[in-house]
Amino acid sequence: MSNLLEQMQKDLYEGDADAVKAGVQKALAEGMSAEDILNKSLLAGMDRVGCDFKAGDLYIPEVLMCANAMHAGLGVLRPLLAESRGVSQSLLGKVVIGTVQGDMHDIGKNLVSMMLEGAGFEVMNLGIDVAPEKFIEAVRTQRPKIVGMAAMLTTTMPVMRTVIEALQEAGLRDKVKVLIGGAPVTSAFAKQIGADAYAPDAATAVDVARGLAA
Amino acid sequence: MKSTENTWIKVLSDAEVEKVNEQSLKILETTGIMVDHEEGLKTLEKAGAKVDHQTKRARISRELVAQCLKTVPDHFTLAARDPKQDCPLVRGGRPYSRNGGGADYTLDLETGEFRPMMLADLRGYYRLMDGLDGIDFIAPVFGHDMPVLGRDILMLREAFAGTSKNIHLRTFSGKTLKIMFEMATIVAGGKGELKKRPLVSLLEAPVSPLKFLDVSVDALFLCGEYGIPLDVCVMPIAGGTGPVTMAGNVQLLNTEFLGGVVISQLAHPGAPLQYAPRPMAMDMRTGFSLAGAIELGMMAVAGAQMAHFYNVPVSLHGPWTDSMLHDGQSTFERTYMTFMAAYAGANVLVGAGMMQQSLVTSYEQLVIDSEVNKTVIRALQGFEADDGHLAMDAIARVGPGGNFVQDPHTLRYLRGERYKPSPLILRDSRDAWTAGGGKTFEQRAKEIARTILKEHEPLPLPEDVSQALDKLVSDAMKSLKK
Repeated sequence: MSNLLEQMQKDLYEGDADAVKAGVQKALAEGMSAEDILNKSLLAGMDRVGCDFKAGDLYIPEVLMCANAMHAGLGVLRPLLAESRGVSQSLLGKVVIGTVQGDMHDIGKNLVSMMLEGAGFEVMNLGIDVAPEKFIEAVRTQRPKIVGMAAMLTTTMPVMRTVIEALQEAGLRDKVKVLIGGAPVTSAFAKQIGADAYAPDAATAVDVARGLAA
Repeated sequence: MKSTENTWIKVLSDAEVEKVNEQSLKILETTGIMVDHEEGLKTLEKAGAKVDHQTKRARISRELVAQCLKTVPDHFTLAARDPKQDCPLVRGGRPYSRNGGGADYTLDLETGEFRPMMLADLRGYYRLMDGLDGIDFIAPVFGHDMPVLGRDILMLREAFAGTSKNIHLRTFSGKTLKIMFEMATIVAGGKGELKKRPLVSLLEAPVSPLKFLDVSVDALFLCGEYGIPLDVCVMPIAGGTGPVTMAGNVQLLNTEFLGGVVISQLAHPGAPLQYAPRPMAMDMRTGFSLAGAIELGMMAVAGAQMAHFYNVPVSLHGPWTDSMLHDGQSTFERTYMTFMAAYAGANVLVGAGMMQQSLVTSYEQLVIDSEVNKTVIRALQGFEADDGHLAMDAIARVGPGGNFVQDPHTLRYLRGERYKPSPLILRDSRDAWTAGGGKTFEQRAKEIARTILKEHEPLPLPEDVSQALDKLVSDAMKSLKK
C-alpha cells in the first residue's frame, strides 16, 4: 500500500477531516482512481475504526469523529463515484428514523442516527413523538430502504405495531425494512409485531442496517 | 491524585477521639499490659515502666507513650521486588489492597468443592495475585500438605518465586521470622538495601485483651532491627475478648496499639508501624467471630480516626464476608466494608479473596475483589471541577434540547472521566450477553482466573538469588528439625 493511502487511514483514525480531504485530493492528483481511494483508504480505515470500537478501544464520539473525516474525503470523491458507479446521495441508502408517538426520548435514537450517518447511510431524523401518519408520509415521499423506530417506554412500544399496520394498509410494507430499538424492546417483541429486525444498541443498529440494506 | 482527607467519614466526634486516647493512656498506667517476653519486660523497665516480673505486667506512663509516639514514622513504603509495584502508605493517599492471609480452605476452581488449601493452590494463588492489577501486595496462604515446622519459611520461598509484589508475612516463631528476614536480605541484596526498600512486611497481633505473647514481642523487635514495616494488628472480639460495646472494643484495641508502639519504639526508635485495627464481633447466638457484620465496618472507621489522630498509616479490613459462596451476600457485605474502609482513609484494604469468616480463599473471589478495589480507588480519585470540566462553553454551545455526543468538549474530556472495568463487569445488551453464553458474574470471574493462571508469568528471581535462597531454606529446614 502506498504511503499516501496509509497516511490517509491514519488521518481518518485520528478524525482529522481536513487532512483526509487534502489526502484524497492529492491521491486523485497522483492519478489514483476514486474507487481505489474509497476502498483502500476510507473504507479500510473505517473498518479499523469499527474493529477497535468493538474491542472497546474507541468510544462512540471518537467513531463519529472518524466518520466525519471519512465524509470529508467522500465529499471530494462523490461526483467521481457517481460517474463510475452511479452512487448519488449516499453509499448505503436512506433511513427514516424517529421516536414513536407519546415518547419524548431523544438521545438514544439520535445516537443511532449519528452512527448510521457515520457508516454511510443518509438519515432523515423525524425527531420525537412521531405520529404513525408522519412515518407513513416519510416512507411514501422519501422512499427509504429502512424505517427505524425507537421507544423507551413499555406504554409506547405498541405504537410500533400501529406504524407497521399502517405501512401495510398504505401498501408500503414490502417497500421498506423496519428496524426497531429502545431499552425495553426485545428481539421477541420485534418478531411479535412483524418488524424485520431489532438492535439492542447503536453499534449493532449499524450492523443490522447494513444487512437490511444489502 | 488529590488527598482523600476531605472525604473521610467519621463515627466518633473529635472530642470522643481525644477521650479514647486519654483513657487508653489511663489504662496503660493503671491496668497495664502483659508482656510474656523477658527482654521485652526489661526494655520497658529500663525506660521507666513499672514492671511486675511475677505477673509479667508492665504499667506504662503517659510520658513514655508520648515519647514513643514521637518517633513513629507518619509514612513509609511497602517496597516490591518490581519497583513499579511499590505501595507508598501516605496520609490521604490512595489505598493499597492485599488478600486476607492464612485461609485454611479453598473452593476448587474447577469443581467448586470446599476443600483444604494445598501447596499447589498456594502456587496458583501467588501467580493469580501477581497477575491481578487490583491486588497490590500479597499475604501468605499455606498448604495443608506442607511440613508444620518451617511452613512459614517454605511459604516465603514460594512467594518470592511467584510474585514480585511486596510480601506480607505471617510467622509462627521468632526463630523462623529471623530466617525469613535473612531470605529477604538475600533478595534485597543486603541488610542495608532491605532497610531502604523493605520487600516484605509483617502482621503480628497481640492477644486481646492486653496481652503480648513471646512471638509478638520478637516480631516487634526483629522488624525494628531489619526495618521491616509491621502491622500492629489489634483485633478484640466484641463480647468475647473485648467489651461487647463498639466503643469499648475501640477503647481496648487503641490501648493495645499504643502498647505495641511503646515496645517497638523503645527497642528501635523510628521503626515503621501501621495501625491495624481489626475490631471483631462475636455472634451471641453461635459464638462465631463475624466478618461481614456492619458493626465491624463502623468500629474500623473509629480505628482509622484514632490512627489519623496519631498520624500513622492505617490498615483496615475491606472485602470481608460471612458467606460461603460467591453470592449476593458476599458481594453485598464486602462492597460496603470496602467502601467504608476506603472512605475512612485506610492506607491498606485487607481481605481480598476471603470468605466464610476468613476461613476460605477462592480464586474467583480474588478476581472479584481486584475489581472492587479498583472501583473504590476510582471513587476516591473524585473528579475535577475546574472551568474546563464544568463545561460552561459546551453547555452554551449545545443549548436547550441539543446533545453533547459530537461536541468538541466531549472529545476533549472523553477519556479519563470514566473507569473502564474488567470483563468481569457486564455492560452489554441482553442479546449480546445471551450470544456470549449468558455467563454469570461467578462464571466470568472463573474465566478471568483461568486465563491469568494460564498466561501470567511472574518476574523471575535472578538465578544466583534463587540458588542462595534454596541453600538458606534447606539449611534452615534441617536446623529446625534438630
